[in-house]
Amino acid sequence: MEETKIVNGAWELSTFHFPIEGRGLKTMLKNMKDKKLVGFKCPQCGMVYMPGPFYCRKCFIRIDDEAEVSDHGEIMTFTIGYADVRGNPLDEPRIAPVVKLDGCDSWIMGVLEGVKPEDVHVGMRVKVKWAEERTGSLQDMQYFLPE
Amino acid sequence: MDNKVAIVGFNMASALDLETTRERLSFDLTRGLFDDLGIERDDVGTFIICTNDFLDGRTISNVFLDPSVGAYMKDESKVEMDGLNALTYACMRILSGQYETALVATLALTGTQVSPYLHIGYTLDASYDRPIKLLNELSAAALEARSYLAKYGYSEELLDDIALQDLANAARNPNQARRLEGVSKDQIAGSAYLYEPLRELHCYPATDGGCMMLLASEKRAKELCDKPVWIKGIGRSTDNYYLGDRDLSGSISASQAAERAMGMAGIKDPRKELDFAEISSLFAHQEPLLAEAMGLLEPGKAAEAYKSGDTAIDGKLPINPSGGPLGGHPICSSGLMRAAEAVLQLRGEAGKNQVEKADVALAHGQDGVCAQQSVVVVLGT
Repeated sequence: MEETKIVNGAWELSTFHFPIEGRGLKTMLKNMKDKKLVGFKCPQCGMVYMPGPFYCRKCFIRIDDEAEVSDHGEIMTFTIGYADVRGNPLDEPRIAPVVKLDGCDSWIMGVLEGVKPEDVHVGMRVKVKWAEERTGSLQDMQYFLPE
Repeated sequence: MDNKVAIVGFNMASALDLETTRERLSFDLTRGLFDDLGIERDDVGTFIICTNDFLDGRTISNVFLDPSVGAYMKDESKVEMDGLNALTYACMRILSGQYETALVATLALTGTQVSPYLHIGYTLDASYDRPIKLLNELSAAALEARSYLAKYGYSEELLDDIALQDLANAARNPNQARRLEGVSKDQIAGSAYLYEPLRELHCYPATDGGCMMLLASEKRAKELCDKPVWIKGIGRSTDNYYLGDRDLSGSISASQAAERAMGMAGIKDPRKELDFAEISSLFAHQEPLLAEAMGLLEPGKAAEAYKSGDTAIDGKLPINPSGGPLGGHPICSSGLMRAAEAVLQLRGEAGKNQVEKADVALAHGQDGVCAQQSVVVVLGT
C-alpha cells in the first residue's frame, strides 16, 4: 500500500449544456394532458415508436407522422424491486412492468399498482391510471392498473 | 499495402454553434452521405464511431449513437481518439477481408457544450499536474510554443504569420467554422494573449462539428465512385504523457508516425514527393513544429518559409490549404477532416483553395496535451 496514494476530487460538470432530442418526449407530454399517448410512425416499415425519434432506426429515414397509441396494453416483462435505483431500501416492494401498449411497437416502463406481487405475470393485460390533474409531465401517467 | 483501401466519400459540417443534437448531427451527415453515394445502411459492412464519452456526457456513448449513424443491428466499434485513428481501425477491418465497406463516424459538440480548452484538464494526471493548478490545454501549448520559438530564436511574429496564412485560407473555405473575412496580421497580433506567447487568434476556436467518411475495398470503391482516393500508408506513434519527459520544442511522435506512414507509401523525399499537407496544428506554432518533425519543412527555416510563401496554397509545399484547425477543431473529427480536405484537393474539388498539383498528400491527426500522439496518413490518386 505504500506505493498507492489516494487522491480525492470531483468531476466538475457544471459547465455542460447538453442538448438532447426533444420532439418525441414533447409530443408525448403535450398529449398526455388530454389522456392521449402519441408516438411517431415510420411510413416505410410501419414501426410505431414512443417516445418517437425523429428517424426510423431500421429504415434510416426521417419520420414526422404522429400516431396515437392505446393506454391499454400487455406486460412483456416485469421486476419486483426492494430498493430504489440508488440502492435505498423501499418500505414496500415495488412492481415495475414493461408494457407493450396496443398500437405501439416500443415497450414502456412504469409502476404497477392494484395487484399483489405474486399475482403479476407476463402477458397480463393492464391500463394506464391517469392523474386527475394533468400538467403535461411524466407524472400525468401515474401507474398501471390491471385491466 | 498489398490490398488497397480507398476513401469513396465523406460528409462534414463544422460551425461555432451548429444548433443541433448529437443524434441529429450524426443522422443528417450520415443520411446525406448515403444519399450522395446512392447507398443505404445495409451497404455498409462495419461502423467505427469516434466520439469522446466525457464530451458526450455518457459512458460508452456509442450505444446511443449507433442507430443515428445507421448501425442498428450492424457490426460497430468505437474509437475514443482523433478520427484518423478511427480511419486506421476502419482500414484494418477492410484489409482483414471481412468487410468491403466501413463507415467512420466522428463528431463532437465542443463549441457549444463545454468551456473552451478547460475540458482538457480532465486528461491531466491527478497526482501532480492537476493539483498544482497551473496546467491546462492553453498553458501547456504556450510552454510548447515558447520552447519551439526559443529553439531557433524565432520572434513571436512568426506565430502571426502562420495564423494569417491559416485564417486567410480558412476564410475562403466553406467547410470551416471560423471564417474571418479580410483577416489581417494586425488583427492577429492585436488579439488578446491567452497564455503568452499564444494569442486568441493563434489558437483553435471551440467548434461543433462532425465528419462521416466511407472507406471501401478496391473493388467496391470503383463501383461506388469515380474518383477513389487511395490510402497509401498509415503510421502512428505515442510519446510520454509527462511534459517533463518530453522535448516540447519538437515532436518525436509526429516524426515517427510520418516515417512509418511514408515508409509504407514508399515516399523517400517528402518535400519533393508530397504535393501538400493537412496538419492538425491546434495552435499556430504546432504547424511548423509538426511539419519539421515530419520532414516537410527544413528545421530552423520556418520563418523564411512563411515569409516567402513556400507554405501557401501556391507555394512549394502548401501546408493546411484548408486553413487547418485554426479554422475549426471539432474534437475527434479534426484529423478526419484533414483527410477529407485532402480528398477534396486530390479530386480537384477544393474550389478557391485548390492547389495546382495534387496527387499525393499527407494528413496528420493528434491526441493528448501538446500532441502526445500523432497519426499520419498518406493519400494518393
